[in-house]
Order: sequence, then C-alpha cells, then structure tokens
Amino acid sequence: MSTVPLSAYLVLALMLFCIGLYGALTKRNTVIVLICIELMLNAVNINLVAFSKYGVNPSITGQIFSLFTITVAAAEAAVGLAILMAFYRNRKTVNIDEIDSMKH
Amino acid sequence: MMENAWIIPLFPLLSFLLLLVVGKRLKEASAYVGMAATFLSFLVAVAVLVARFNQPTFEATHVWFTIGKMDITAGFAVTPLNALMLVVVSLVSFLVHMYSKGYMHGDERFPVFYAYLGLFTFAMLGLVLSANLLQTYIFWELVGLGSFLLIGFYFYKEEAKAAAKKAFIMTRIGDVGLLIGMILLFWQTKSFQYDDIFAAVNAGKLSNTLVTLSAILIFVGAVGKSGQFPLHTWLPDAMEGPTPVSALIHAATMVAAGVYLVASLFPLYEASETAMLTVAVVGGFTAIFAASIGLVQTDIKRVLAYSTVSQLGYMMLALGAGGYVAGIFHLTTHAFFKALLFLAAGSVIHAVHTQDIEKMGGLWRKMPLTAPLFLIGTLAISGVPLLSGFFSKDEILVAVWTHGHPVLFWLAVIAAFFTAFYMFRLFFLVFSGETRGEAHDVHESPAVMTVPMVVLGVLAVVAGYVNTPWFGTFLGDFLTGESGAHEEAPAWIMVVATAVSLAGIFLAWLMYSKKSLARDWLSSRAPITYNVLLNKYYIDEFYMITVGYATKVFSLFLQYVDRFIVEGLASLIASFTKAIGTIGSRLQNGQVQMYGAVTFIGLTILVVILAFTGGYL
Amino acid sequence: MNDTYFLSLLVFSPLLGIVLLAFVPKTQEQTIKLLGFLATLPSLLLALFAFGQYLRGYDLSRLAEKHAWLQFGKYSFLPDSAFSVPYELNVDGFALVMIVLTALLATLAAIASIHIKKEWKGYFMLFLLLEIGMLGVFAAGNLLLFFIFFEVTLVPMFFLIGKWGYFEKEKAAYSYLLYNGIGSAILLLVILILFARTGTSNIAALQDMLRDPQGAAQMLAPISDDLRYGLFIALLIAFGVKLPIVPLHSWMLRVHVQAPPSIVMLHSGVLLKIGAFGLIRFGMGLFPEQFERLATFIAVLGVINLLYGAFLAFVQEDFKMVLAYSSISHMGIVLIGLGALNEAGIQGAIFQVVSHGLISALLFLLVSIMYERVHTTMLDRLGGLAKAMPLVSGFLLAGAMASLGLPGMSGFISEFTAFLGLFKAEPMIAAVGTLGIIMTAVYLLRAVLNMTYGATTHNVTEVADIRTVELVPVLILMGCIILIGVYPDMLAQSLEATIQTMMNGLGG
Repeated sequence: MSTVPLSAYLVLALMLFCIGLYGALTKRNTVIVLICIELMLNAVNINLVAFSKYGVNPSITGQIFSLFTITVAAAEAAVGLAILMAFYRNRKTVNIDEIDSMKH
Repeated sequence: MMENAWIIPLFPLLSFLLLLVVGKRLKEASAYVGMAATFLSFLVAVAVLVARFNQPTFEATHVWFTIGKMDITAGFAVTPLNALMLVVVSLVSFLVHMYSKGYMHGDERFPVFYAYLGLFTFAMLGLVLSANLLQTYIFWELVGLGSFLLIGFYFYKEEAKAAAKKAFIMTRIGDVGLLIGMILLFWQTKSFQYDDIFAAVNAGKLSNTLVTLSAILIFVGAVGKSGQFPLHTWLPDAMEGPTPVSALIHAATMVAAGVYLVASLFPLYEASETAMLTVAVVGGFTAIFAASIGLVQTDIKRVLAYSTVSQLGYMMLALGAGGYVAGIFHLTTHAFFKALLFLAAGSVIHAVHTQDIEKMGGLWRKMPLTAPLFLIGTLAISGVPLLSGFFSKDEILVAVWTHGHPVLFWLAVIAAFFTAFYMFRLFFLVFSGETRGEAHDVHESPAVMTVPMVVLGVLAVVAGYVNTPWFGTFLGDFLTGESGAHEEAPAWIMVVATAVSLAGIFLAWLMYSKKSLARDWLSSRAPITYNVLLNKYYIDEFYMITVGYATKVFSLFLQYVDRFIVEGLASLIASFTKAIGTIGSRLQNGQVQMYGAVTFIGLTILVVILAFTGGYL
Repeated sequence: MNDTYFLSLLVFSPLLGIVLLAFVPKTQEQTIKLLGFLATLPSLLLALFAFGQYLRGYDLSRLAEKHAWLQFGKYSFLPDSAFSVPYELNVDGFALVMIVLTALLATLAAIASIHIKKEWKGYFMLFLLLEIGMLGVFAAGNLLLFFIFFEVTLVPMFFLIGKWGYFEKEKAAYSYLLYNGIGSAILLLVILILFARTGTSNIAALQDMLRDPQGAAQMLAPISDDLRYGLFIALLIAFGVKLPIVPLHSWMLRVHVQAPPSIVMLHSGVLLKIGAFGLIRFGMGLFPEQFERLATFIAVLGVINLLYGAFLAFVQEDFKMVLAYSSISHMGIVLIGLGALNEAGIQGAIFQVVSHGLISALLFLLVSIMYERVHTTMLDRLGGLAKAMPLVSGFLLAGAMASLGLPGMSGFISEFTAFLGLFKAEPMIAAVGTLGIIMTAVYLLRAVLNMTYGATTHNVTEVADIRTVELVPVLILMGCIILIGVYPDMLAQSLEATIQTMMNGLGG
C-alpha cells in the first residue's frame, strides 16, 4: 500500500481551510458563508484524523474528536440555518452585509 | 560660668513662647515677662564676659545631625568677640524692652510685640553664640524673621507690608550668597566649625581662588544683612516698624550682624587680599554714599537709617582695611549711640506724632531730657572729641591710613564731614528754633522711656574709653589677646577727624540755626544733584525696572508657555487618545465579516512576530 | 516571618471603617464624620507604634509578611518560585516614615473633612479606600502588589475630585485620570517586562539581580543595557507624571485647585510623594547605573522644576494656584537631591518628601479653614486677614516660612541638605538652583502678605477665627514641622539604612 505522506493531508486541509476562510470573509450570501464555515471545520477534521494516524503519538483520540466536531457542526448548521430562516422572514434578505443590527 | 553661656538665648525664647500662649491674658504685663527674660540674659552675659577675662576660650560642640557618615555639629563658643557682643546685645535689648513699655502703651497687639521682641533677641543671642557657620546661618535667618515680623508689625499699613517684604527678600538675596559660600567651604574642609575652617585656611589646604570666592560670597550675605550697597535699600524702608524696633534691630544689633560675621571669619578674609579689598571698597563706598543721601532726607527716622547704613559702611571699611579691633570697637560704640538716637527720636515722635522734621522744631525746652540726650548721641556720632564715637572713628581712620588705602581714607573723612553735618542739621531742625508743627501739648516721655535713654546716654559718652590711645587699649588687648596691639598713628589724623566734624557742625549751625546760609542752597543751585540725593540715587526705581519687571515679564512669559505649550501637549495627548477611539469605533460596524477579517489579521501579525522573535523564552 | 500580621493590619484597618460606614444611614452627618475620623486612627496608632519601636532599634525585617497568592503557570524547566506572585508586605526605614506620614495626614485630613458639605457617607468610604491604597503602596513587597495599590489610589481619587470638588471638578477628575492612567500604563509595562524577564517581582530580589553583575545569571532572560535604559526612562516618565516633573504637571494644577482641600492635603502630601518614592525605590534602587549616567540630566530637570514652578507661582492670582506651582517647585528639590547622587543629596530628597508632605498639608488645611469663612482664595479679593483672623493668618505665615525654608523648620533641613549634596556634585547647576531659594521667598511672601497684611477688604471683616477642632490638626502639623527642623536626626537615623542601600547600589 503506497502511503500517502502526512504533508499531503495537511496541504489538503490547509487549502480547504483557506478556501473556507476566503469564502466566509468575502461572500455576501449568508448561506454560502455558513457552507464556507463547514469547509473550515472539515479542514480541521482532516487534520485531526491525519494526526491520529500519523502523529507523534498515534491514537484514537483524534478520530473521536472529529466525530464530536461533526456533531457540533451539524448542530451549528441547524441553528445557523434556523436563525437565517427567521431573519429572512423578517427582512426578506439573506445578504450578510445587511445583517448589522446587533451593533446597536 | 562660660559652660552655661548657652542659657543666655533661652530666656528670651521662653519669653517668646510664653507670650505666644498666654500673651492675650497678660495684656501689658507682657512687658515684665520680656524685661525679666532679657535682664536675666544680660546678667548671665555679664558674668560670662567677666569670666572670659581670665579664662581661655570655651567651646562646646554636640552632634546635631548626621548626613551619611558626616556629622553636622551644633554648639557654642565663648570667644572675646562673642562675649562682648552678648553683653551689648542683651543690654540694648533689655533697654529697648523697657522703653517699649512706654512707647507701645495702648497698642492692642502689645503682647505680640513683646513676643516678637523675644524671638528676635533669642535669635540674635543665638547668632552671637554660634561657633559654626551653619548655626550662624540658622540664627541669621531667624533674626531676619524677627526683623520681618517687627517691620510689618503695623500690618494693616501698606507701607509696612511692602517694607517687611522688601527687607526679607533683599536680605534673602544676600543669604543665598552666604549659603553658597558656606557650602563651598564645607566641601573643602568637611566642617562648618570656624576653628576647622581657619585651620584649613592657615594650613593652605584651600586654593586661593576658592578662599576668595567663598569669602566674597559670605560677604554678600553680610552686605544684605548690614544694608551695604547695593543691597541697602531695605534698611531705610524698614523704618516703617515701631521705633524701638528700629533702635534694637536696625541700628544696634541685627544690622551689625553682617559686620560681626566678617569679624568672626576674619582669618578667612585675611587669607585673601581680593576679599579684603572688596570688603573695604564696598564699606567705604557705602559710607559716603549713604551719608550723601542722609544730607537731604526729611524723615527723622530715615536720616538715622541712612546714617546707620553709612556707619556700618565705616565698620566694613575698618575690617576690610585690616582694622579688626577698630571695626568691633565702632560696632560697640555705634550700638550705644545709635540706639540712643533712635530711642530719643522715638521719644520725639511719641510726643509730636509725626516723623517729618520740617514739622518739628523748638523742642529743646519742651523735652528737657530727650533733647540733651539726643545731643549727646549726635555729638558722639559726629565724632566730637571725648565722646565714644570720636575714639572709634579715629581708630578706623588710623587703620585705613596705616594699611595703605589713601583714597578710602579721604572718602571716610568726607563721610565723617557729611555725618556731622546731617546729624546736626537734624538736631537743629528738631530742637532749635520755633515750632513748625501742629502738635501743641508736647510733653516729655514717661520715665520708663527716659531711663533707658539715660543709660544709653552714659554709655555713649564713656564707652569709648575702653580703647583709647591715651588711657590704654583694653578692648584691643582683650579681642586680640595681646597687649599693646594699638598701632602708632600719625597724630594729624586725629586733628583732621576733629576738624572735619567740627566743620560739619559749624556748617549745619550756619544753615539751620543761625540761618546765615540759605537752607535751599543745594536745591536751588544744583536741583539735579538735590533730586538725585532726595530720591536716593533712584536705586529703588532702578531695581524696580530691571529686576522687578524682568521677573514679572519672565513669569508671564512662562505663564503663556504653561498655558499654551504645556496645556497644548496635554490636549494633544487627549486628542490622540480620542483619535484611537474613533478608529476603533469605526471597526465596530456590525459586519461579521469585518470582525472576522480583523481577527484573522491580528492573529497573523502575532504569528509573524512570534516567528521572527522566536518566542519569549 | 509569617506569624505576624502587623503590616496587613496596619494597611487594611481602614477597611473596618468602610464596613461600619456601610451600616450608617447616609443622613447621619455627625456619626459618619466621627466614624470616618475614628477609622483612620488604628493605622496611625500602629504606624506610630512601629516607628517608636524602630527608633528604639527594632529590626523592621521582622515585620515582613509573605503568603502564597498568585501563580502564573508552572513550568517543569523553571524553579517553582518563577512567575509566582506572593502577597508580601515589608517596610524599611524610608517606607515606614512614609507610612507614618500617610497615616498622620489621613487622620488630619479626616478632621479637615468636617468642611465637606454633601454625601458624607460616600466621601468617607472613598476616603478610607484611598488611605488603604496609599498605605499599601509603601508597604508593598513586590512590584505587582505595588501596582495594585497604586491603582487603588487612582479610583477613589477620581471620584473624590469629580464629585466633591469645585466648579470645574469633572474636568480636573478626567485630566487626573488621563495623565495618571498613562503613567500607570507605562509603569505596568515596565513591571511586566521585568516580571517576564526575571520571573519575580519581588523588589529585593530584583535589586539583587539587576545590580549585581552575577545577578544576570539568575534571570530567565537577559536584560540588555539598552533595554535597561528604556525601562529606566519609562519609570522616570511614569513617576514623573506623579511627582510631577515639568512638563507633565498640568493635571496636578487642576487637582490642586478643584479638589476639596482635605483631599488636596492627601494628594499633595502623600500622592505626589508616591512619585518620589517610586523614583527613589525603583528608579534608583533597580537601575542605579542608568540613574548615575542620567544624574546630571535629573539635576537639571530638578532645577527647571524649581525655577519654573517658582516663577509661575509669582504671577498667579489664586492662592491655590500659588500653592500648586509651589508644589512643583518644591518637588524640584527632590530631583535636585537625587541628581546629586551622594548621601547628602539623597537624604535631602527624602527629607524634602517628608517635609513638603507636612507643609503642603498644613497650607491646604489652612486654605480649607479660610475658604470655609471667606469663600474665596483669589488674592485680589483678600486683604488684611490678620485683623479678623489673627491665628489663621499667623499659621499661614508660619506655613509660608516653613515652605520657603526658614531654619528651625523642616523645609530648611531638606533644602539645605539637598543643595549641600548638589554643590558637591554639580556646583554650577546648584548655583543656578539657588535662585529658586530667593524666588520661593518672593512668591510666597507676595501671596501670603497680600492676603493677611494690608488694608482689610470688606468681605473679610466679620469672620470668626480658627475653631478648636481645626486648631488641633494645625498644631500637630506645625509641631511635626518644627520637630524635624530642630531635631532632624530623628528622621536621619531612620533613613540611614535605606540611604546606605542606595549608596551601595550607586557604587559609592
């Protein structure tokens, strides 16, 4: 079995994370921003799993932790979308730059 | 006895404290407290002087204050000079205490007056007893305080307030000189003790420049205190104080402290010719300078004040010329006859309620005791033979001549002529002729005022005989510790001195008594000279313009600096803080993405810094 | 020694007053004032007791307290003591003198607070909190604790100025907060750098590490010479704000004028002295080498302070402003003494700290008494006070005399000793500085004589003289001033050890 080196996983995770970060900071549509955040979380998951196999002390902890992350991400997506739905009903928009009423 | 000399200043101090606390209740009985205290001081002082005749100098020191490893000592010494001064000061002080009981009668701040007198007497006696420079400086300032308080005794008068302030500040200028000189000497000799300083000077441990510098700086202090040119202007103004105060402080004791200081440090001055010459020149110049102003003044106390300045100049001249004994001798006799003159003047003022001599006249018969006493004082100060002033003035002239200062000698002779003239001008204007004032019920002062004057009158006559070329030089022998210290003088000096004083008296008689010479001779012939003299050479005005305004302008300039530049700096800091706030609040725009971006950028910066510095540990 | 809680008791005893005051209804004026006054007494008595024992030869190091308190992480590669901040209090002669001064002035200021007109409860609670802060500053054994107490003084002071002051009180309070906030920030920076590099904030330990060439080995990270300079200058600025050093002074002018006089007594008497204390203890104590190099500069700063304050005091129209500039001028003497770098100079500086604390407290106490009666401190509206209030005027004059350095009073000893020191080190600078001695007399006499002498102005003809309750603190202060002036050795002895430590650091 040809082994994929650790660095490949990390580069993949980095790319995913950067795409996610870029999207989260620049996209106007809140749905896309939420999706981008999921990308970043998944980048982290890849890192966790990669380290659990190829890290200094390989152990199952990383995988378990990534399961937790997935759970939390699901909950977060549900809550986020719910807020978004409620907001859309009130303001008829999902543009994130119009969502700034919390500053007051 | 001498080991108990420290007790002498304590009596007046006790009197001061006592009167401060219970003075209000004692009312005019305060006078007895003050008199008792000073009389006790006088008795002990006499005992100390007698003891000192046949015992060596007594000195006691005690550590007062430690600075690091250096001990600053306090103590006292009984040298011939100290012992003599103690008697003079306590005696004059006692007489003035007694006199004031009559003079200040009815004043609502009577106890306060006596308290201040006690404070002053304490400080003056302390000054005289001091055996080191620091202690001298301490009491030096305290006598200044006493003088300040007493000049400003009539505090509600604007003139008194100005005079008190002026006296304090002018002498303070001199004091700074003394302070610097003292500190310079301290770092060279590691001691304030006179003995240590003299020892170091004699051993040649100090460079010539330093000796000269510190001697001159200390002399600046003496100039301030003794009203020498150019710091003399406060002394005539100080006449705003009650007259007994003028007699005690501004004639007999405090103003002589400058002379006393130079005399105490005589070995230091002797080591530097420049310093000696400075003292002599300043003294000589002041003598004639003040005498010339005295010629035209019309306030009885101011004439006496300028005469004091002039006589103090004489003493300085004597010391500067090397006539140690002559200076001290004149200091002693002057204390008696000038105090007498002031007390007599006070008696006159008390009777006629004015100080303007143009409004007096014809008092000879109305004041049968004051008038002859004033005459005695006038004769003494004019240097008429057989009175005390004659011997001491002669001694000074001899000293100046024999030490080779011909210019100064002739200056002093002219000053003697002036002195005789203006003193008799004063005498004739006040006592002879017809009454020119409004006061009619003029009567002689009470006994409590005349008795001190009589005592001083006797002393003004006989005090000269302690040191004469004819009957022996007791004082000189005592002060210098060797017999026959008197120098052989050319006899013509005595003749010249007598001649000029008689000439001055004669001229005054012609002008003011016989009136064969017009009184306005000077004012009509040379109005400019007359005005310059009348306005005291415009020195006050000169100081006002130069120092006074310069200080004010500079202060106002700083005020603007403070208000605009420094405050501007402050508001700059404030607006800077505000600007940061504005920028910060602009970031707070509610845009989640902006927050995220800022967070990310911040994190990046931190990581970069960490990467470059390699962490903290 | 951990079995003594003496210092903690001393520092925190006003807390009892705060707690008790919380239970007093806020309308009970007399009770509150009495309680406020009583609450300052325990500290004073304890301080005096300690001082008395110290003069009899008691070893002050036996009073030191140390308890575990904060631990900023444990690292296997570092000793256990690293980054731990114990609660530690200790005093030496200098600190003890300052504590006595603080406790004394606090008690007297509490008496002077009878002139406070409103919200006594809040006032006294803040007042006592301020006292805790001030006492703590001098007793703190490490820099972090010092800083905390330092900040504790800041907060109550802000409210005391802002709430109980005169017309422009808010502005004064904010300017106070702004300047001192910046000063504190800089101080905190210095403290944190030292803490991070050495792992300790104990003052004595830091002294050993920073002074001793071998001490560098004990540090966690080296401190370069340049960094030391930077830290020293930062300290100079931080404490320079407090002292204040020209041109960092404009906040204190406002505080002097706008704060209630009883608070100014503490402000001018103690809080400004924290600047001097810090400069001596930390500036000179921790960075002797840097101090030595900059000594001339500091002496020049001192002379500038002295003259700048004196000249400006000369043209002020408000007596409180005169006193404010006079404080600046007198703090110049502290710098002059420190700049001299010899025993005489340092001793003079410390003497000046104590002496000016007493004198300015006395003068502001008198201002408070005077203002209560004539409702103004403007010089052109006052005249001839001596007629209506002979005692107040007499004390004012005496205070002015003390302030201008009349022998027999404490001001002379400190001025003289400081100048004595500077004349050895820098005679030319000192000679310029002596001009300040003359100017001090000029502006003080101008101001005081203007008020007390001369013709009586119509607004002051019928006013009562001093009351007994006011007379007592005045007499106590006057007594202390004269005591130090006549018997300075009492103070000199208690400072001897501290000055010796400083001199050792300076390599002298």
